[in-house]
Formats: sequence, structure tokens, C-alpha cells
Amino acid sequence: MNARFSGLGGTRGLPTVFLVARREVRMRLRSRVFVGGTVVMAGLVVIGIVAASFLAGRTNPVRVGFSGGSQALEPTFTASAAALGASVTVSEIADVNAGKAQITAGTLDVLVIGTSTAPTAVAKDSVPSNVQSALSLAAEAARLSSAGLSPAEVRSAMSLVPIQLLAPTTPKDTQNLLASLALGILLWIALGQYGNLVAQGVVEEKATRIMEILLATIPPSRLLAGKIIGIGLVGLLQLGIVGAAALISVHVTNVAAIPALGVASILGDIVWFLLGFLLYATAYAAVASLVSRHEEVQSAVGPISILQIAGYLLMYVSLPNPDGPLATICSMLPPFAPILMPVRMAATDVPPWEIGLAAALTIASIGGLTWLAGRMYSNAAMRIGARVRFMDAFHG
Amino acid sequence: MLEIDGISKRYGTTVAVQDLSFDVRAGELFGFVGRNGAGKTTTMRIVLGVLAADAGDVRWAGRPLDLAARRRIGYMPEERGLYPKMRLVEQLAYLGELHGMTGSEARASAVRWLERFGLKDRASDDVQALSLGNQQRVQLAAALVFGPDVLVLDEPFAGLDPVAVDVMAEVLRERADAGVPVIFSSHELELVERLCDRVGIVDRGRMVACGTVGELRAGGQERRWIDIPEAPDDWDAGVAGIRLVQTDGTRRLFELDPGVDDQALLQAGLTTGPVRAFERVEPTLGEIFRTVIEGAAA
Repeated sequence: MNARFSGLGGTRGLPTVFLVARREVRMRLRSRVFVGGTVVMAGLVVIGIVAASFLAGRTNPVRVGFSGGSQALEPTFTASAAALGASVTVSEIADVNAGKAQITAGTLDVLVIGTSTAPTAVAKDSVPSNVQSALSLAAEAARLSSAGLSPAEVRSAMSLVPIQLLAPTTPKDTQNLLASLALGILLWIALGQYGNLVAQGVVEEKATRIMEILLATIPPSRLLAGKIIGIGLVGLLQLGIVGAAALISVHVTNVAAIPALGVASILGDIVWFLLGFLLYATAYAAVASLVSRHEEVQSAVGPISILQIAGYLLMYVSLPNPDGPLATICSMLPPFAPILMPVRMAATDVPPWEIGLAAALTIASIGGLTWLAGRMYSNAAMRIGARVRFMDAFHG
Repeated sequence: MLEIDGISKRYGTTVAVQDLSFDVRAGELFGFVGRNGAGKTTTMRIVLGVLAADAGDVRWAGRPLDLAARRRIGYMPEERGLYPKMRLVEQLAYLGELHGMTGSEARASAVRWLERFGLKDRASDDVQALSLGNQQRVQLAAALVFGPDVLVLDEPFAGLDPVAVDVMAEVLRERADAGVPVIFSSHELELVERLCDRVGIVDRGRMVACGTVGELRAGGQERRWIDIPEAPDDWDAGVAGIRLVQTDGTRRLFELDPGVDDQALLQAGLTTGPVRAFERVEPTLGEIFRTVIEGAAA
């Protein structure tokens, strides 16, 4: 009965895998669960980012106003601030009292008063330390030049101590760490959610008894492939919407210029999501094919859920030290790679061979699982009723 | 012609179907009857390729049935099943497309069949909103929507109201007249007798009788009603080769052993008094069925 597995697509119509996938997409896009779920997820992400922008506070440039004699410090202050990595905007304030009023009102962060050699910084509650340093350097330079040094001598006297790192860790900053954690959680939720959707979808045909009509028309492997592709596309669309909402809110709130949210990184994350989805979806489909009722799905997918939760915990354990042995090894192992590797890639610079190996192992696992899932699904598809034992489904 | 040639299937030690053969010709309505668990559903599933046979072949137009040919079979499984949350017209159109129709053909055909079964107004409703009887009509429409070359229907009449039975019977007859071989199983033997060109009786996995109802009758035993109001109770005691089957007032129904002349019975009756009625009765399919099953069990 090999003929069952070697059939063609539609004689005149469209290929059956496409038809199955299209049905999945149509039915799910129309469902309230999808629409509501997308709105809620996008809303949570936007709220999270806006909240983060408030909590992170001073990511906007520090507004510094100079009044009176201190105005001569402006050019050196701007140059020092840039050298120290402080983001500032400068303005000239004609009247000291008006400047203080602006500080109280919150339209100005720091007001510099006094002379260029003895300035005073006025602020509401605090002055960012790098702004204070830049101001000190500018005042120092002013004092040196008033002591008679030429501008070139002042520049050489004021030059910052060069730093030489023998073993730079190239840590992408904390914001990046947070971003990669957020990314990891998003991927983790998405993989779990769409994996479960596939599991429920696989049981759907058995639970509604439509399986028999379908199997008389299309080989089980095609039904399975169409289902996974359809649900994967829906998942990608939902993630795309949520991701776009995240990018737009990051841009609008200007919470941070996060490299992890650059175009190349996002494309990489999409690839990892697809690999992870295929890996988990086929695994979910294989175990779900053993049961016939929706209520039984949760217990059937239990073992896979445990692996996924392990991946989640590993993410927290390995993030503080993304280059450590635990993180390095686990991020290359297939069950965890689709979550850990993109997280590590966002947190640190991962050697290309590690990424390549992780991807290769994941793809190989997808191949093996697809074979296994197809076999189990074909053998278990018509056994409606009692739960099918794994070995029975495997041997047929 | 659809040929089922020597198929066998066992589940562990249970024999579901044993060396079962029959064929269904173009334009023929073939009734498949048998007790529960006799092997009807297993046979149909093997024909559809949903189940693999341990031995034997299924051929259509002389060639082994492959997936491409199977996709041209309209199937109504015993376990009814449709997507509960899909609109009727979409569901039928989807199945039409899976069977190789283009999108627009499938949709037009779906609408046509819904109209035929009186469900046109419900076309945009979900399947789960329908009554069971209406779901069954949709199930039949699902088997018909793509204009199948063969129809295989497992208990299509179960659970239908009399009006729906008439519509269903009419549709099956019409498909058969259009040249489509139609196999269906049923426990409604009167219906099978009225509707089918040929009947196959299956028992414990084997085909025990197969042919037109007339042919099956010819293989069965002759029966006569005889009414002799004034005869003594034991008037028939001396007649050889007959058996009393039923008594209705003074009327008695006898079954004649093969080769027994019914005139001998009549003459024996006439010697006891005036014979008011003497009537040859055709056994119903139900009677043939019981006889055949008992014969197979013996």
C-alpha cells in the first residue's frame, strides 16, 4: 500500500499541502483566540517598553544651560561630554533666575552659573556623573588656559588616559542583556504556544472524526506538513505584528538604541524562530498523534513541555555569563538551541562556528523528528479512541 | 467496474475479513449487509486505502487502486466527521479542492449540493450549529461534492428521518443511473431490497451470499401460505419435506425443502377440507438474510 504515500497534488486544483495550510491560516486568522491573543500580546509588549522607558529614565540627552561667564565653557564641555559618552544638549540662558525656574519646571536639567574658571552646576536633585566630569574637565581647561598655557598645551594636558584592554569581553551593555532576555522570553512563549496549537490541531482531525475522510484523499504526511506550515505562518504573522509593535514603541519612546533590535538581528531571530518552531512543532505533532481527545493533549505533550521549561531556566542561568561553558554547550544542543542561541547572540559575540553548529544540529534534529512524526502520525492516525502507545505507533 | 479480490485483514488474532471478493459494476447500486462486526466497515476502509489489507487487491477499471484513483471515490465513513467550526459551504468547497477541483468549481458544486439537500439557507452556518440529521446530509454532500467516479457509503441511512431517507435514496439511484458504482452498507434490509440492484451478505469476514435479490431468493427455500379453515390441527403431519414456519388464525406458512413439490402439499390439504387460499410467498431480504446467516453458522 505504498501508493498511499506517493500521490500527486491536485489533478487540476492546487497542491494538497497548500490547501491544508491555507485552511489552517484562514480558520485561525478568523478565530477570536488569534485576534484577541495578538492584541493582548502586542499591548503587553508596548506597555512593557513604555514602562521601561520611564523606569530607565535619563536616556534622553541631558539638557545643560550656561549663563553669564560660564558660557565660555560650552565648546570644551561639549567636546569632553562627547569623549565621556554623555549625551547632552547645550543652550545659553540669559537670566540665572529664569534658568532656575526652568530647572524647577523640568524643562532644563543642569544650569551652569558663575565664571568659566569657577563654575557651579545647579540641578533639581542630581547631576549625572559623566556630565559632572565633563564640566569639571572644561573648567580645568579654562583654568589652565587662564594660567597661560596655549590651546595645544591645554589639549595635551587634558587628554584622557588611553586604555588598553588585553582581554576585552566585548559585553554588549545591560540594555542589550535586557533586550536579549525579552527576546528569549518572547521566543519561548511563542514556541510553546504554537507548538501547543499544532498539538491541538493534530488531535482536531481525530477528535472530530474527519480524519477518515481526509486520509482517503491525502497521505497523512501531507496533512501533517500542511498543518505545521499553516500554523507556522500564523505564528510568524502574530510574532511579526508583536515585533513591529515593539520596534515602533522602542523608536517612539527612544528607550534605547538597542543593537539587538537591528534588522540583521531580527532576521536572525526569525530564522531561529522558524527552526525552533519546526523542531518543537514536529515533536508536538508526533506525541499528539497518539491521543484522540483534546483533554488528553496536555498529558501527552508533558515530556516536551519539560524540555522547554528546562530551556527557559537555562536561559536565566546562562545569561549572566553568556560565554561560559554551560551557556556555550547548551546553546548548541537542539532542544535548547532555538531559544538559547539567539539570546546569546544578542548578549555577546558568538563565534560563527558555534552558530553554524547549533543550526546544523537543529536542522538535523528537525529532519529526524519529521521522519518520526510522519511515521507515528500515519500509524496512529486511524486509531481513534484509547491512547496509542509510543512503540505501537513507531512500529505500526 | 470496482473489483474487490480476495482481501483479508486481521487485527491480532481476530479475523476481520477473510478472502472476501465481490465486484460492483458501473451504474449498479450494491447493498452490503451483515451483522455488526461482520467486516463491512473494514472492507470499505480497505477499498478507500484508509486501512491496508493483509492480502488481496482492489481494482478499478482493471488497475490496482492507487491514490489518484482513490481520490475519485466519494466516501461516507461510519464515523461521521466534519470540522465543527467551519461553514458548510467552505467545508464542502475545501473537500472538493482536496479532491482536485479548482476553487471556483468546488464552491459552485458545494452550493449546488447544499441546495439539493435543502440546506442552502444554512450555507454560512458552522457545521456544529446543525442538527444531527442535517449534519448527515452535509456528510453525504461531502462524499458527492467533487463528482466521484465511485461512491462508498457506510450506513448512509442510519439516523435519518423518512423524508431524508427518500432524498438520500433518490440521490444514490440517480448517481448509479449516471454510471457510478455505488456501494452502501445498511441494516435497513427493506430499504436495501427496494433500492439495490445487487446485495452482498457478509458474515464473520466472509461473503456468504452475493447477487440480485431474485438470485438470492432462488437459492433460498420456497414458502407457501395455505388456509384450510375446517382441517384438523394435525392435518399436515403426514406430508414429507415441509416445515411449519408461522400460524396466523387458520392460515399456516410452510417452508418446503429443496425439491419438494408444492402440489403435494396442496393435495394433502384438499383431502382434509376446502382450501380457501394457497399462496406462494417471496421471502423478504430479511428472511433470506436470516436463513443465510443461520446456514453459514451451521
